[in-house]
Amino acid sequence: MRKIWRRTCAFAAAPLVMASAAACGGGDSGSSAGGTTLRVIVNITPNLTEQYWNTLFDTYEKAHPGTTIKLELTGTISANAKLTQDLAAGDPPDIAQQITPTAEDADLYTDLTDQPWTAKTPLADQYAINGKRYLVGVGEQIQSLVFYNKAAFTKAGVDATGIKTLAQFTDAMAKLKSAGYTPLQTAGQWVTGAQFSMMADAGVMTADPDWTVKRKDGKVTFADSGYASYLQQYKSWIDAGYLKKSALGLTYPDGQTDFLNGKSAMYIMGSYFVPAADQAKKSDGIGVFTMPTDGAYPSGQFGNISDPYVVVNRSKHKAAAIDFVKWLVTDPEAVKSQLAADGNLRQGFTYPMSSLGTAVQQILDKAPSVIVKAGPHQPIAGYSDQLNTTIQSLFSGTSASSAASGLDKWWNSQN
Amino acid sequence: MTLAMMGPAVVLYTVLTVVPVGVAIYLSLTNWNGFSSADFIGLDNYRHLFDDPNSTKSWYVTALIAAVGTVCEVGLGLVYALILKGRSRGNSFFRAVAYFPHVISALILGYLWAAILGTNGAINNTLGKFGVGPVGFLFDENMALYSLIAVIVWAGFGFNVVLFVAALQTVPAELLEAAAIDGANRRQTNLRVVVPMIAPVVTIATVLNLVGLIRAYDIVVSLTGGGPAGSTQTFSYLILARSFESTKVGYATAQAVFLMVVSAVLALAVTALRNRQDQAATG
Repeated sequence: MRKIWRRTCAFAAAPLVMASAAACGGGDSGSSAGGTTLRVIVNITPNLTEQYWNTLFDTYEKAHPGTTIKLELTGTISANAKLTQDLAAGDPPDIAQQITPTAEDADLYTDLTDQPWTAKTPLADQYAINGKRYLVGVGEQIQSLVFYNKAAFTKAGVDATGIKTLAQFTDAMAKLKSAGYTPLQTAGQWVTGAQFSMMADAGVMTADPDWTVKRKDGKVTFADSGYASYLQQYKSWIDAGYLKKSALGLTYPDGQTDFLNGKSAMYIMGSYFVPAADQAKKSDGIGVFTMPTDGAYPSGQFGNISDPYVVVNRSKHKAAAIDFVKWLVTDPEAVKSQLAADGNLRQGFTYPMSSLGTAVQQILDKAPSVIVKAGPHQPIAGYSDQLNTTIQSLFSGTSASSAASGLDKWWNSQN
Repeated sequence: MTLAMMGPAVVLYTVLTVVPVGVAIYLSLTNWNGFSSADFIGLDNYRHLFDDPNSTKSWYVTALIAAVGTVCEVGLGLVYALILKGRSRGNSFFRAVAYFPHVISALILGYLWAAILGTNGAINNTLGKFGVGPVGFLFDENMALYSLIAVIVWAGFGFNVVLFVAALQTVPAELLEAAAIDGANRRQTNLRVVVPMIAPVVTIATVLNLVGLIRAYDIVVSLTGGGPAGSTQTFSYLILARSFESTKVGYATAQAVFLMVVSAVLALAVTALRNRQDQAATG
């Protein structure tokens, strides 16, 4: 009865709440005469394209006759938003990629703890919720990386190996600007806030890995923590012209292309930038170093599980879905394919890497820790969007202190 | 017999309108996250509407888009219709050109204009060749909002042209002749005779545009994504891209109910004002 009521509520509220969400489409998950169809939603990115996923799924279908994998596109929204819509509409897919369960919604996903193979998957314990594994991934990606244009550094007389503190990073930007380059590449969309996280989290969370837990408990604030000084630093770079305001009008791929084309000298981004550089045949002209901080060097790497998969609890084909996810995260060829496609890493698995990929691997090997924002360390819902808006506002004259207090005000208003 | 005739319509209306609105109002009083059980929390979601820092800003953006957009869409549509009201191939062509954007998905229009107005877009690329720019169509907070409004107006005014041209065909030729005999020039005829005659259609167009623009979402997603710095984040965008994505379905529903009430009040207010003017004019 309760289930029927929920579905009725979802159906009835849908016209009002989701009037504009045209991307919401029905599915046909089920057993057809020919076998089982598994519906999968994924995030489409410049590296992990629709064509890539379909090719990967074709490989599974050939090896498993009778199973059809149906890729469901999410339109203009993320996989997470699509899954939320589908769940609310009572029509969820069987498998979702790029979803991180929380303690509040873990019961929506299948507990995979009793599957012995899950224990050997990357970062399995870090993403466990109360000791239970709901999510399994293919590899790891690290994100506190600074990619740089070797030719620009040579022209500006900057030695990348000598950049270990934020002061040295700032000096390098001054020299690069004098040499005629835009020192640091950014972009609009989600990129601005994400780059700030990649930079600041490396410093703040290496010093205090439990910072997010403390923020949730109200024991620390943005305004009175390391984030305030990072905001100050970032603002000073904008004021000095090291970051261009016009970059906010670029999409993520456009920003990446500008850096690859030599319009800027440095680009803070995750390891998934490597395949883009490889594809553009620019890897050899690009170097990488770990994000400098004012604390320990090298700092911990802000990182996360790559290609995480969950099996939706309401799946009608749970066993088949688990088998497919097992294949995705344990089959050597499937794993290598996904690692290579997105420039991710996993112990025990190798694939032909460019010089840039190898350099990233070396940074991970030397990193004292991988800072994972999962479980209790996961910020509250909506934080990344709010951070992005806040960081972009620094380009329009908002002061660093206002930005920090604005983040606190927003965080407090969400409780 | 009357009840039997009305029955199917009443049932359909109840199932498709009354029940969803009723359920939405109920959900807006809960903390439902879209999948687990919902707890009744009274008016907390509505209180949160007023202390959510993003709400205030998004209302300003929405109000500006609705007000400026409606005036421009209706005004431009009216001027365009008055110019092209005559029956000729040329006029038909230009009316079709004006209406054309309306038949294309707003999402596609947004992406198209993003490719034109973006930092690396067609306009800035061309300007760059002359050493000018880039112009902040989409990266400057203020300009991005007006770029968004301009694209919305461009995409929407053609619908009004069709409405107004149809209405203009109903203006009696005798009135126009009488105005001409009285010595009224074209501007005076349009202002004193034609526009008052099509005032009910103008009112409908105003209400439709106003209510439509208050719900602006899809073109925001594809043109600006609500940025930069949330400067183009409309209330509908906030509901769908922020609250709903954060699985705050109860709160998102409260926002949607609030939006529905505001839309209804505005539509009623515009209609009432129009009726009062009509009554004053007739007597």
